[in-house]
Amino acid sequence: MNLLHPDARVIDAVTGESLTPSLIDRFGEELADQKLVFLPMPTTIEAIAKYLAALRLHKPVVLLDPDADHAELIARYQADEVHPDLALLLTTSGSTGNPKLVRLSRSAVLANAEQVAESLGVTSDDVAITTLPLFYSYGLSVLHSHLLRGATVVLERTGLMQRDFWTAVDAFEVTSLAFVPYQYEMLRRLRFDPAKHPSVRTLTQAGGRLRAELITEFSQKMDAAGGRLFVMYGQTEAAPRMATLPPDRIADKIGSVGLAMPGASFAIEDDEVVYRGPNVMMGYAESGTDLAAGDQLGGVLRTGDLGRLDDEGFLFITGRLKRMGKVFGVRINLDDVERNFPITAVAGDDKLHVFAEDISADDARALRTKIAEWLGTHFSGVDVRSIEALPLLPNGKTDYRALEASL
Amino acid sequence: MSELQRLRDAFRTALDLPADAPVDDLRYQDNEKWDSLAHMSLVAAIEDEFSVMIDTDDVINMSSFDEAVRILGKYGVDVK
Repeated sequence: MNLLHPDARVIDAVTGESLTPSLIDRFGEELADQKLVFLPMPTTIEAIAKYLAALRLHKPVVLLDPDADHAELIARYQADEVHPDLALLLTTSGSTGNPKLVRLSRSAVLANAEQVAESLGVTSDDVAITTLPLFYSYGLSVLHSHLLRGATVVLERTGLMQRDFWTAVDAFEVTSLAFVPYQYEMLRRLRFDPAKHPSVRTLTQAGGRLRAELITEFSQKMDAAGGRLFVMYGQTEAAPRMATLPPDRIADKIGSVGLAMPGASFAIEDDEVVYRGPNVMMGYAESGTDLAAGDQLGGVLRTGDLGRLDDEGFLFITGRLKRMGKVFGVRINLDDVERNFPITAVAGDDKLHVFAEDISADDARALRTKIAEWLGTHFSGVDVRSIEALPLLPNGKTDYRALEASL
Repeated sequence: MSELQRLRDAFRTALDLPADAPVDDLRYQDNEKWDSLAHMSLVAAIEDEFSVMIDTDDVINMSSFDEAVRILGKYGVDVK
């Protein structure tokens, strides 16, 4: 099986440039003497051609945010030897302070592209448009599942709050849009009406929990227009998709993230969601020598999420084992933030709330900018508040529940 | 405060710019802080400041400070 179906097309909405086999060949020649490819991944034809060239030559690729500095990461992951199954390495969070990589095999990447394409019913008639960065696992998964089925992917870089994006949606007759929760908040603000963009038949949602009210609203809107909304659940560690909620079950399974991917299953072990499937990573890497390691998980992923399964196998996520948050779809380890800044952090819906003892408004603003830069996220995802004294539990530890309740 | 000052302040707040930052020549994505997230904050700030409800077409057309001035004019806010 090949990720790139011969009929697949990739077109740049601005330049009109297309992906061609000869372009992939040309970049393949450039990569010939590289063992491991560190690839900054902007949303361009050239970056996608390089990426596909590396995959075809069986050279593992580390996908990187093109706007960030990766000198430290590149130095850390120099490798003399890489495992022959290793195809793709992705970072697990926006944080530059903790550059742990997820090791994905070629077969896991292909398996998940197939699982996603099957559960969404992607065909060669589909047209996707970029709505998320390609170095981010959800954005990459949209590319993979469409290339696999010989569909079309339109490259667009301005985003859904701009006229150019919607002009491209209509001009290229885009059929499928993929968004994370904050983008659904934007769509609501734009009073998105699928009837005004009749080519759009599919909306997908992943990258964190979308509030039930918005799931219902967009599901009904799509239904009325003859389209569908797919709620999905995943982690980069699963290449990345683990579950999809069939659109016709949204109404009676509201709050569920759906059923396990085809050929996979969920179990709850000590309250933790455990996923078994062909798309589970080989393991993490924390140094260059780890890139020579083989599969350490045997297809079993302990997700770190707490959850329950109903009698039909629908999964409901109820919390996290570790103190984690998500900001704009990107995972954030709250303890990491606390180790790097003199603050206390709790997670809100798509927001990081930070408490600092007795600081001025100016200092709070500066701290917000610093934390957001460190996380590689937008400043509006970080909220800094001054607090007289942190609430404490009887054992002297921070009372995080009380802080969350004060939001 | 004049309408122009109020609009400049709305831009500075939404884009997290210093209180004296020049904003009159700003264009979407020329400034690295003006992305889709900041755009949503900006539209909300302008709506609050001028007590208007901006239509979808105007939201996605508001690609520069000058455009914001023009659009506000449609809602009866004369920015000068």
